[in-house]
Amino acid sequence: MSERTYWERMRRRRLSRRGLLSASARAGVGAAGLALVGCGDDDDDDAPAVVAQTQQQTAQQQQMAQQQAQVVEQQEQQTAQQQAMQQQDQQQAAQQDAQQQAIQQQAMVSEKQYGGSIIEQSANVYETWDPQRTVASPVLQVLARIQSKLLRFENPNSGELSGDLAETWETPDATTIVLNLQSGVTWHNYGPGASNPAAAAGRALTTEDIVWNIDRQRNKTLADGTETGDFGRSAYWGGLDTIDQGDGSVTLNLSEPDATYVQGLANEFNLFNQPELVSANEDRHTEIDPSRVIGTGPFILTRWDPGEGISCVRNPDFFGSPERPYLDSYVWVQTFQDPNAYRIAFEQKQVDSMTDPDPNTILAIHDDRMDETYLTFQGVANTVAIFTPSNKPPWNDLRLTRAIDLAVNRRQLIQQLHNGFGKVSGPVSWMQDAWAISQEDMETIPGYRIDKDADIEEARALWNAAGGPDIGQIDWVTSELWAARAAWSATPGIIAEMFNRAFDTDQFNGITKPYLEIIPSWLAHDFDPFFSWIPNIEIPDARADMIGAFTTGAGSNYWDISDPYIDETLLAAKQELDYETAFQMIRDVQDYVLERGQYGRSICYNYIFPAIRYNYNHPQLFSPEEGWNFLDTSLQAHEQWIDAGDPSIAGRNAPSPVPL
Amino acid sequence: MQQYIIRRLIGAVFVIFLTGTFIFFMLRLLPGDPAAASLGLDAGSISPEALEQRNAKLGLDKALHTQYFNWLWDTVRLDLGRPFSKEGVTVWYEIGRSLPYSIELSVLILIVGFSVAIPIGLLSAIFQDRWVDYVLRTLAILALAAPVFWTAAIATLAVLQWELFTIDVIAQPHFWEDPGAALTWYLIPMLAGGFAGTAATMRLLRSQMLEVLRQDYVRTARAKGLRESMVIMRHALRNALVPVLTVMGVTLATIIGSQVILENMFNIPGIGNKIISAFFGRDYPVVQAVVLLIAVFVVVTNFVVDILYGIIDPRIRFS
Repeated sequence: MSERTYWERMRRRRLSRRGLLSASARAGVGAAGLALVGCGDDDDDDAPAVVAQTQQQTAQQQQMAQQQAQVVEQQEQQTAQQQAMQQQDQQQAAQQDAQQQAIQQQAMVSEKQYGGSIIEQSANVYETWDPQRTVASPVLQVLARIQSKLLRFENPNSGELSGDLAETWETPDATTIVLNLQSGVTWHNYGPGASNPAAAAGRALTTEDIVWNIDRQRNKTLADGTETGDFGRSAYWGGLDTIDQGDGSVTLNLSEPDATYVQGLANEFNLFNQPELVSANEDRHTEIDPSRVIGTGPFILTRWDPGEGISCVRNPDFFGSPERPYLDSYVWVQTFQDPNAYRIAFEQKQVDSMTDPDPNTILAIHDDRMDETYLTFQGVANTVAIFTPSNKPPWNDLRLTRAIDLAVNRRQLIQQLHNGFGKVSGPVSWMQDAWAISQEDMETIPGYRIDKDADIEEARALWNAAGGPDIGQIDWVTSELWAARAAWSATPGIIAEMFNRAFDTDQFNGITKPYLEIIPSWLAHDFDPFFSWIPNIEIPDARADMIGAFTTGAGSNYWDISDPYIDETLLAAKQELDYETAFQMIRDVQDYVLERGQYGRSICYNYIFPAIRYNYNHPQLFSPEEGWNFLDTSLQAHEQWIDAGDPSIAGRNAPSPVPL
Repeated sequence: MQQYIIRRLIGAVFVIFLTGTFIFFMLRLLPGDPAAASLGLDAGSISPEALEQRNAKLGLDKALHTQYFNWLWDTVRLDLGRPFSKEGVTVWYEIGRSLPYSIELSVLILIVGFSVAIPIGLLSAIFQDRWVDYVLRTLAILALAAPVFWTAAIATLAVLQWELFTIDVIAQPHFWEDPGAALTWYLIPMLAGGFAGTAATMRLLRSQMLEVLRQDYVRTARAKGLRESMVIMRHALRNALVPVLTVMGVTLATIIGSQVILENMFNIPGIGNKIISAFFGRDYPVVQAVVLLIAVFVVVTNFVVDILYGIIDPRIRFS
């Protein structure tokens, strides 16, 4: 049966154009070969001429066939690319529709309501309870509800700030920030943390508390005087020259003018610990225990069992009361290893939202439950990039670096690895919306052009001119952590194939390496070409990232870029208080580095996770893409609410939080 | 007999040792960074200092052979270590929490398997080569052919679509805590797992029944004038079940390890769920311990069966 089907399939199968040409070429070669054999003995004297003529004809036929095949292949590639573009357009259209629906959903309900509990999936691993010593955002998802910062983002997309522990702030000059603290702020007086003998529960927040938290990080020392390298924001706080304490105010004196510094105060990592409690538990900072955490935030932590459950409940003494927060509690349930379990939990309303690495699952659920759910699209702040070591041979020939930058098919990668959910990013990520080059402009910038053939043609010319073919085998590294994900496991091969195809070569070879090998070599400025994420974007203002990556001797300048024009322009931009002027400076530098293949720091894209929520669940939404996958956590702690009157709330099976 | 037991015991220990060694080295050949994974990272924001500190803390900074001998010595002393992904608990504690769920599901799957396989195997034998036999055998083959995850996924979609009942994937109740909620939670996995295991048992029982029904003592029973139901249930089925029970015993040993898919699909925090999360988190101590535990369980079960065979049939122990 199967044989008959197979032969039927073979008989009915249409021959592709490429197949036809290839077959013709083979037939031509075969016929020529037969002719050669057949004519072999007829005339020994004429034979060489005939052979030569026939060989020439055969070669011509082969060449023509190859050319035709190449044309067809190019046409097919173009068609595939167009199809991919169309698919991406359709996805973007669907995305826009869904976003519109989400915004309308927000607009429909004008008055926020109090009460209720939001139930979400938790992360599996939390490496510490100390927000100042974490390197991972899951910790912040919890602690941003519990603790406060000096400022927080009112709108993470635009960078608009509002007060948190500081009620107001002033910048009398470019090196001074005066923060006037809220009155009546107290540390949590309830919950497991307040029961800890070391905690001075209910005590009022003082300016000394603020200084203690900052000093700890900028001096990189623990309470017992031990130095530690795990304060991730020590470089930021190291930008302070002195701190002055006033009556209810703290003045930060910067060592040099920095217009981006204020936004850094709202960085989600800059949460404030209670000094007494933390000092007593610093040696056990990796042992997750709710009794080691209190804060001044809108919620009090009542449970923290990693992988099993977390809960926090409203802080009755919150300084924002009675207006904030809207919710009574947050509950994070255990991690779902399998989308089936997550889907059951969402569809049976045991959780209020759902994300999944496979966007198709989310879209399918939305299709089934169009009336009671809406979609949001969350960009992931870990920008994806291709790094070429332009600080060492042979890559220090900028023609090669630029060839690589041009050859990277960013849209293809988004399509292949993320189902089309993502947007290309230039030197400034699209998520730093106020500073990025628009997507429309990107479509005509070399390396990002819609007409990828033009990029490839230019890349190939540069590659050949710079002696790229003579380099030999090039092992292009992908981090093991990336390749360990099932959906991305083919990445090393995809990257190698992308370059091999672009340069019409087989030099590129995809390999994987652990971060333990990649990162130290990267930091030592002696790395092999690799593909990976780069660290999180932490604030919407792109100037800090640009300065860190491109100025001479900067902390993230792993390519040893040293260009007076870049240094001067970025330094001026850092000190510029006028946004329009600063934006233009950043744009100029972006154009400048793009013309130079980004100096090997070839930013590719930021991918997007769709999320689905029930209509009753109202996080604060501002724009089509809520790009800050953890920058808005404090905002949601204050503003998220539940519409108890929405029909979608019927049948909700929400677990209760652990009470105070 | 004593020599036979000692020989089997040495073999069992050797198999466990080989399994443990194999999984130890295989884990370290896999891509993925346990230090980064244990920090909960899925991105590049990590400093090399943090990674180094983490590696030192997890003991991964030592030479591979040192790590191996440390693990071996600890395992011999029944110290399975501490999970990479969680502070303050031991691997034994994690296993102790997971094992009851896996045992519950295994028992339920066996009950379903038995409940379905025995009647249809019996009917199929009684009505040999008649339409009932064909229909039942076709159903059994279908159950065998359908992958367990497919059956479970289809059943889940049906429950969700028609809102049949609540599958509480969050509360995770044990049967002795909340039987009703536990039943609805376990229902789909136990049916899917049970049906999948039905076919082999049913076919074995059918062939055994057909053989037994042709035996002289069955003919004698019929000749005595016993009712057919009495002949089938008391004389034929009892004898036909002996090899089936042996197979089921061995199946129980392997079923815990094969529940990985079902446990994950329904968020059952059993051994299968644990091994998957530990595997993706590169939590070496947990993966090593769970694999070793399953190996011990399988080896011990087989060892007991071998000993029992040896007791029942002396020819085996002397061969």
